[in-house]
Amino acid sequence: MAAGVVWVALKGHPLGVTRHHCSVGGPMGMLRAVCPHGPPWYPRVRYGTPWVPIPSPHRSLRFHPRSAPSHSAGAMVVLRAGLCPGLTEEMIQLLRANNIRTVVDFVSSDLEDVAQSCSLSYKALVAVRRVLLAQFSAFPTNGADLYEELKSSTAILPTGNPSLDQLLDAGLYTGEVTELAGAPGSGKTQVCLSIAASVSLGLRQHVFFLDSTGGFTASRLYQMLQARVEDKEEQVESSAGPLKAVLIDSVSAVLSPLLGGRQSEGLAIMMQLARELKTLAKEFSVAVVVTNQVTRDSSTGALKSALGRSWSFVPSTRVLLQGRAVPWEDGAAPHTACLAKSPRQPTGMQVQLDIGSDAVQEQRPVTPTP
Amino acid sequence: MQRDVGSLPLSPALRARLLAAGFQTAQELLETGPCGLSKEIGISREEALEALQVVRQECAGDAAKTAGGSGSTRKCTALELLEEEQTQGFIITFCSALDNILGGGVQLTKITEICGAPGVGKTQLCMQLAVDVQIPECFGGVAGEAVFIDTEGSFMVDRAADIATACVRHCQLIAEAHQEEDHLQALETFSLESILSHIYYFRCRDYIELLAQVYLLPDFLSEHSKVRLVVIDGIAFPFRHDFEDLSLRTRLLNGLAQQLIIIANDHKSAVVLTNQMTTRFGQNQSMLVPALGESWGHAATVRLIFHWDNTQRLATLYKSPSQKESTIPYNITVSIPLGMEIQRWEQSFGSTEIVRGRQT
Repeated sequence: MAAGVVWVALKGHPLGVTRHHCSVGGPMGMLRAVCPHGPPWYPRVRYGTPWVPIPSPHRSLRFHPRSAPSHSAGAMVVLRAGLCPGLTEEMIQLLRANNIRTVVDFVSSDLEDVAQSCSLSYKALVAVRRVLLAQFSAFPTNGADLYEELKSSTAILPTGNPSLDQLLDAGLYTGEVTELAGAPGSGKTQVCLSIAASVSLGLRQHVFFLDSTGGFTASRLYQMLQARVEDKEEQVESSAGPLKAVLIDSVSAVLSPLLGGRQSEGLAIMMQLARELKTLAKEFSVAVVVTNQVTRDSSTGALKSALGRSWSFVPSTRVLLQGRAVPWEDGAAPHTACLAKSPRQPTGMQVQLDIGSDAVQEQRPVTPTP
Repeated sequence: MQRDVGSLPLSPALRARLLAAGFQTAQELLETGPCGLSKEIGISREEALEALQVVRQECAGDAAKTAGGSGSTRKCTALELLEEEQTQGFIITFCSALDNILGGGVQLTKITEICGAPGVGKTQLCMQLAVDVQIPECFGGVAGEAVFIDTEGSFMVDRAADIATACVRHCQLIAEAHQEEDHLQALETFSLESILSHIYYFRCRDYIELLAQVYLLPDFLSEHSKVRLVVIDGIAFPFRHDFEDLSLRTRLLNGLAQQLIIIANDHKSAVVLTNQMTTRFGQNQSMLVPALGESWGHAATVRLIFHWDNTQRLATLYKSPSQKESTIPYNITVSIPLGMEIQRWEQSFGSTEIVRGRQT
């Protein structure tokens, strides 16, 4: 058996690149890639073809996790009867006697030794391992295939506000979570409404608006839609497109009562919500937009997003909206948007937002960049 | 949605053991049963039973919320919402400039917050609204009742009586001018006694009483289904003095805000809160900002700030989902007692003022 070392980059793994020991050959010719740590974002995948192209040691692979929604399993699952066909109770007892309790132990152990010490049939063990790997391991693809898939499934949604589009590098990307944070009165609900108007009118696609603050005013949305259709005489008959945008106005209004104090499960609930949102964005290729509050940094006095550090890893793009500090004293100071975190643009970019104008903006639907 | 094991209210040691043994969701725990659980983790059967009871309660609570609470998490299209909003009325304030910047008056199903320095007219406006919500529909009102929760003790019944008398007088003038059947019919039931008997007054002395009152309010509102306005006069007062733990205060206020949003939506009533002002120090100047901090600012949907400019009172619409920011001047006029009120109502966009009754 030849052993090759392959550099594998786990998507979403905070440690970045991890080195795995892979063996090639054996009766099935499979590539075994085992993840010994428990990553915070468990890859849930479906195994592809039994014959996987054996990679050369110099080409970097990327694990492409595609979710299998029925099993939210990690590598730490205990072996139980019925987990897969062929895994009987007596088998489990024998394995347990040899200190093999979880899926990881089973898959990473040498099956010949196990067959000898447990006096089980080697073929049965190999069959069980194949099924377990199909359920619990990640399927490597190369970067070119990933890029092709991303090109065909990602869409960029214009927000209806050209300066905000410039900030977000042409608009909202599907498959990602974007966050808008701002003090009260800085325009978050207005921006969400304008995104909803632009997506449903310009792209003719459904929008899902989840409101937890009571700030959704249908008459304002109607005003915005009317302003956009003014020069076009056509009437929108039916929006036939699938769901492409999910807007959650104020995720912090429902999460902040749960955090802090002696409630230890608040953080876990928040992380579960984060996982669900990211899975939603990736699986159904929708753009998820959430709104957040701001708090004051105790050391510097600057404004930053609420919900703490754990939440700050969830959205891939963060925009900080700022209105006027004391509106009844100053003159007209316009609303600004500042980019706090982005995978594509330099942070610190600032643009002026035009909220509340009913001027007609010509919107061209943006095609995915080739 | 499956509940994660990490998010269940169990002791941390037990949670760590469950996660190490490989349990991910609450469903898996329930399927394993107490005997299997005690064997896998190595705890006694009684502990396993207790833990499973907690899990079952949590899941039952979640299921009840999603199934029975379909009224609160209702799903509808924007078109349906638009039609609802257009048929909804507003609660007028009898100050036409203020009504203009609010877009017609205080909106139902939204939380409006009025902030201002002492003496600027917040309680006056609240009492005016408690009377105005009862105006019959043929006169352009909402024909509802009002709940007034007072924490500062500033509600004066005789002032409310004066405001009510002026309102009845105003409606009588309209009925005399138009001479329509339904106007006269409505006027029979619209009198000073009926107005005062439909204002439900609660007095809360500290924050615990206030929280209890707000959490018990849904039951009260389901019995009195005609209530269209809930006023909390002085929401800052019980929370500002004697509170050591500021993070607890933020959590309580956030929970309170969510409860008020539920009340506003479920019972189709307007919620009006009054807030105090506090000083914030900038670089080299100080400014007056609404009290209770940044996170409370997100609770209200519409925010009005009353302030002074030399001797002129100004009202600024600071935050609103559908109207632009603007500032208007307003006055509080004093009415002459002994039954002679100065009527300055004008039907068009004149300068109407809030009438404040005062007994000398």
